[in-house]
Amino acid sequence: MALNLTINSSNPPLGALLTAEHVKGSVNLSVEEGKDTMLHVSDKVQFSDVNSITRYLARVAPALGLYGSNMMEQTEVDHWLEFSARRLCGQSDLSSALGDLDKALALRTFLVGHSVTLADLCVWAALKGNGESQAKPNSYPHLCRWFSFLSSQVPFSSVGSKWASKISAIKATPVEK
Amino acid sequence: ESVFRGTADLDSLLGKDLGALRDIVINANPAHPPLSLLVLHALLCQRYQVLSSVHVHSSVSAVPPPLLSCLGPQHIDSYARQRFQLGFTLIWKDVSKLQMKFNTQSMCPIEGEASVARFLFRLLSAEPQDPVAATQMDCWIDTAVFQLAEGGSKERAAMLRSLNSALGRSPWLLGQEFSLADIVCACCVLRAGQTTSAAANIQRWLKSCQNLCHFDCVNPLLQ
Repeated sequence: MALNLTINSSNPPLGALLTAEHVKGSVNLSVEEGKDTMLHVSDKVQFSDVNSITRYLARVAPALGLYGSNMMEQTEVDHWLEFSARRLCGQSDLSSALGDLDKALALRTFLVGHSVTLADLCVWAALKGNGESQAKPNSYPHLCRWFSFLSSQVPFSSVGSKWASKISAIKATPVEK
Repeated sequence: ESVFRGTADLDSLLGKDLGALRDIVINANPAHPPLSLLVLHALLCQRYQVLSSVHVHSSVSAVPPPLLSCLGPQHIDSYARQRFQLGFTLIWKDVSKLQMKFNTQSMCPIEGEASVARFLFRLLSAEPQDPVAATQMDCWIDTAVFQLAEGGSKERAAMLRSLNSALGRSPWLLGQEFSLADIVCACCVLRAGQTTSAAANIQRWLKSCQNLCHFDCVNPLLQ
């Protein structure tokens, strides 16, 4: 059955878009712009928060290993999903979160295991949407190495160029109350 | 008898045992006892030989007695570590966020009660295999933690409404099967302490949870 992801184009969920790009060769998935972000699985099942959307997409494409390859990696992925939702989104001072990330990446190419997982997608997306400007290479060398390594690759580069400019434009516009 | 009947053993879940006890170390703040983890500890004890211990870190001055005995009586044969399959070490500590350390050579420290609960639940190999059910389970856990445990009164009321309506359709949150969603959500409702004013379906479901007796360990901490 075909899955349909609708994304709120005035607040694009980069993590969900990146995951959709990763799974699109293995899963029959269409993406369209709309008012609210929602993954439509069936008439009875929809997911509207980004972590549920990415978890579901990773689970229906198990061969990609986006949710890790064993239960310890799965648990690390869970940790970083919560980390990105809590400590990177909607926070103004990211210094302690960035410090933790830099430490975690000191001996690693990817956040979890030896290939890309939801942890990389969601943390990268949160930084792209929020903390990129705070991540100075001289303070966070490992984080910046990891960030630019991912940013140079498809689909990070394509999702980044398509949507990140939109996000910064939205942020520059004063919020009407 | 356990409600979960998975067959996996620890070697296949965690990789080969290298001789040392696999010790799960949890740092938790005594101001926020992690009720769901205590329920999961009780379930793990039914499945495995667990060497449980409670410690108080020097960052914390005094801890109420129920928190010291929340994992049951101390083992008298704790010197014989090789007789146990799992270690469960709970340290009351002045941490801002609950933290688990396990197999630290390969795994980063895991933050947050929800992520640790998912890990312990996987050790019971009772995760739903169906991607929809597994994701619905995760979704309930996230909303319980974000909206019930940490949200404002509006968010809490909305969460209680959706719990009540889901429990009007089926006995457990995922349908016919008791799952981690029930454990985490029930613990959040119990901790919020509005159980007597809760809607009918929620009350019935809390009773069903408590009838499973894995929740017994939580009661002394609610008084």
